[in-house]
Amino acid sequence: MQNGTLTELFVRWTGKLGLNYEFLATGYEAQIWRDGFVTTIYLVLLLIPVSLLFGVLFAACLTSGKPWLLAPVRAFVEITRNTPTLVQLMFSFLALNTFVSNLLGGAQHNPLTPFFWVVAVVGLHVAALHAEALRAGIEAVPASLVEAARGIGFSRLEILRYVEVPLAFRTSLPAIVNNLINLVKLTTVGNAIAVSEITYASIMVWTQRDNVVELMLVILAFFSLLNFIVARIGKWVERRLAVPGYGI
Amino acid sequence: MTTNADTAIVRLEDVRLAFGQTEVLKGIDLAINKGDAVSIIGPSGSGKSTLLRCINALVTPQSGRITVAGTRVDQLTRESERIALRKRVGIVFQQYNLFPHLTVLENIVLAPTRILGVARQEAEKLARELLEKVRLSDKANAFPGQLSGGQQQRVAIARALAMKPELVLFDEVTSALDPETVGEVLWVIRDLIRDGMTSILVTHEMRFAEEISDTVVFTENGRIVAQGSPREIFHGNDNARIRQFVGGLSGARGSVRDGEGI
Amino acid sequence: MTVVTAQRPAGRRVLRNIGLVALPAAILAWCLTDLSLGRELMQWLPYLASGFAMNILISLCAMVLGTAVGCALGILQLVPYRLVRAPIVSYVQIFRNAPHLVLIFATTYIFPFEIVIFGNYIAFPDWVKAVIGLAIPASAYVAEITRGAIQSIPTAQWEAATGLGFSRVQALRWIILPQCLRRSLPPWMNVLASITMGTSLASLVGVHELLHAATDASTAVRRLDFTVIAYVVVMAAFFALCYPIGRLTRRLERRFLPG
Repeated sequence: MQNGTLTELFVRWTGKLGLNYEFLATGYEAQIWRDGFVTTIYLVLLLIPVSLLFGVLFAACLTSGKPWLLAPVRAFVEITRNTPTLVQLMFSFLALNTFVSNLLGGAQHNPLTPFFWVVAVVGLHVAALHAEALRAGIEAVPASLVEAARGIGFSRLEILRYVEVPLAFRTSLPAIVNNLINLVKLTTVGNAIAVSEITYASIMVWTQRDNVVELMLVILAFFSLLNFIVARIGKWVERRLAVPGYGI
Repeated sequence: MTTNADTAIVRLEDVRLAFGQTEVLKGIDLAINKGDAVSIIGPSGSGKSTLLRCINALVTPQSGRITVAGTRVDQLTRESERIALRKRVGIVFQQYNLFPHLTVLENIVLAPTRILGVARQEAEKLARELLEKVRLSDKANAFPGQLSGGQQQRVAIARALAMKPELVLFDEVTSALDPETVGEVLWVIRDLIRDGMTSILVTHEMRFAEEISDTVVFTENGRIVAQGSPREIFHGNDNARIRQFVGGLSGARGSVRDGEGI
Repeated sequence: MTVVTAQRPAGRRVLRNIGLVALPAAILAWCLTDLSLGRELMQWLPYLASGFAMNILISLCAMVLGTAVGCALGILQLVPYRLVRAPIVSYVQIFRNAPHLVLIFATTYIFPFEIVIFGNYIAFPDWVKAVIGLAIPASAYVAEITRGAIQSIPTAQWEAATGLGFSRVQALRWIILPQCLRRSLPPWMNVLASITMGTSLASLVGVHELLHAATDASTAVRRLDFTVIAYVVVMAAFFALCYPIGRLTRRLERRFLPG
């Protein structure tokens, strides 16, 4: 097997440097670790659209001018921004999740998994950050432009969809990319409720192998790479969407 | 007021509107026939722009009747009804207000495809015809930021026409332009009026108003002070205030006075 | 239109004040309606408070350490020697992009539980490791802020200062540094808030801080309503700390940045 020999080569070479990657040659632990990376990537890929979708939704509420939409979203944004995400996750999992279980008559009937709660808490947290950025962008759209869209016959939602959000997205893109980098980092809180993302998987490995340094090197490189890709895609989108005569 | 209800496409009766404590319209009566071009002139702050915005329900007056193409605008209570009206009444603004993130063609195509449900191909064909009409066929793929003010304003006119409106409102469309590009915009509007489009213009271009209007309306302090044919307003008027205003604005018409009220 | 815009800031001001009062008020109201719950919470409150003191301690230490190291790194990032710059740039890039939790794990599990200095065994407690774990990303953020602040000062300012007869050190002290501080204070406060919230991650490596204390308390009491209220108390405590920081940051941003 090509793959197997490559792994062996890697283990031998790093071994010479004093680094212990022997577990890679085993089936079980290597599998756990690989699955950890996959889970983290899966979380990121799922969370990016979720956060953007809810971010736009929240921003729409924040700029609707309707107090009954604005007040609860504003309150949520402030709470989620000013409390640790880990605390929100523990609260959701230990309080809300138990509540849902009791409601449905026992934990065995509760379809909500820890994975769901990570997506919900981190997704909505980052959505709140997006919403703040988008709100600033929407408020920066000139009032005369909005009036023109109204004059043509666009409804409030159509103005939001075709005029305000496209323009606000452009002005707030740097902030949104920043939030997405935050999102990548926040996936690690899943560790607290046994979602087997990369840090959780790594703990499983290093408690057996006592090779924290070795795993850490790879994890740090992994997150650097993920965020490098996110930042690169952000820059690419920024260039793609750049509009002549509409400076940021 | 010689027109009767059957021929008027726009009819305002005793329209009154105040923003907070400030009275802007103090009882406006106006009737406009289909196919007519009406210019509204008068000093700044006399409620001209507000009057236009009442006609397509961008602002709602406190009292009075507004009828536009058979619709009682003052009685519209839901936003969806107002939107239905706005689709039939085009409006062009002083600041062009093109969507900066869309190309010229997309600016024109957006509303017909998204809110009228016109097929993309058909809308694009119409858009290209309109661009030809406003003499900007070569700018279809440019962004608004790459055009001059006059060019942007012509695109804005094409964008309003793409909805095939029953009448078009022009709100000081040349006021923000460089003097050298005013002409090209006025050309386009002149063509439009010759084709029989019902047009209501708020304007400071006196000579243009005189040339293209069927009726000229002079407003001051929220009231219509005088209305009549261009000849009556610009030449036969015995109202000192109007004479002063008209004379003050138009350099071609006698000596320029102190320009008071502009 | 004018009416709406006039109302909006007033509405927000009300919301802002509600923000700080609402959570404690809700906790108090709940305790008063269910006195047994209130008594339980009162019993655990000192324990929770001792946990929160740890959060503040970790946060302050991490910020002091992180700021000191970060400032030095930020200045060194501008040194004209690539050999000096390159490792610092990669340090900043890697640790800015690393999750706080990963770094807390790293310092906790890599550092020994005691260190030997001149033959004396000195305990290396977990909370100090957490401080280092959070000081690392803090230093990376601060390095970026410092570099950005220095670079944003136009060279004309240096020239003007030397033209007025300032020495290089004097120019730095009286002209450049005050401007740098002004520019970097709001982003630095963002880091402060972020690191303060990050201290809760230390609970995952067994440091006795607020979240850990709340988990202890709720497992001891074993009442769902107590669990809920315990975590609401945790949120209210962090909120009371971070919300004013955020508000002040936004006010400073508006004041310092024109436009």
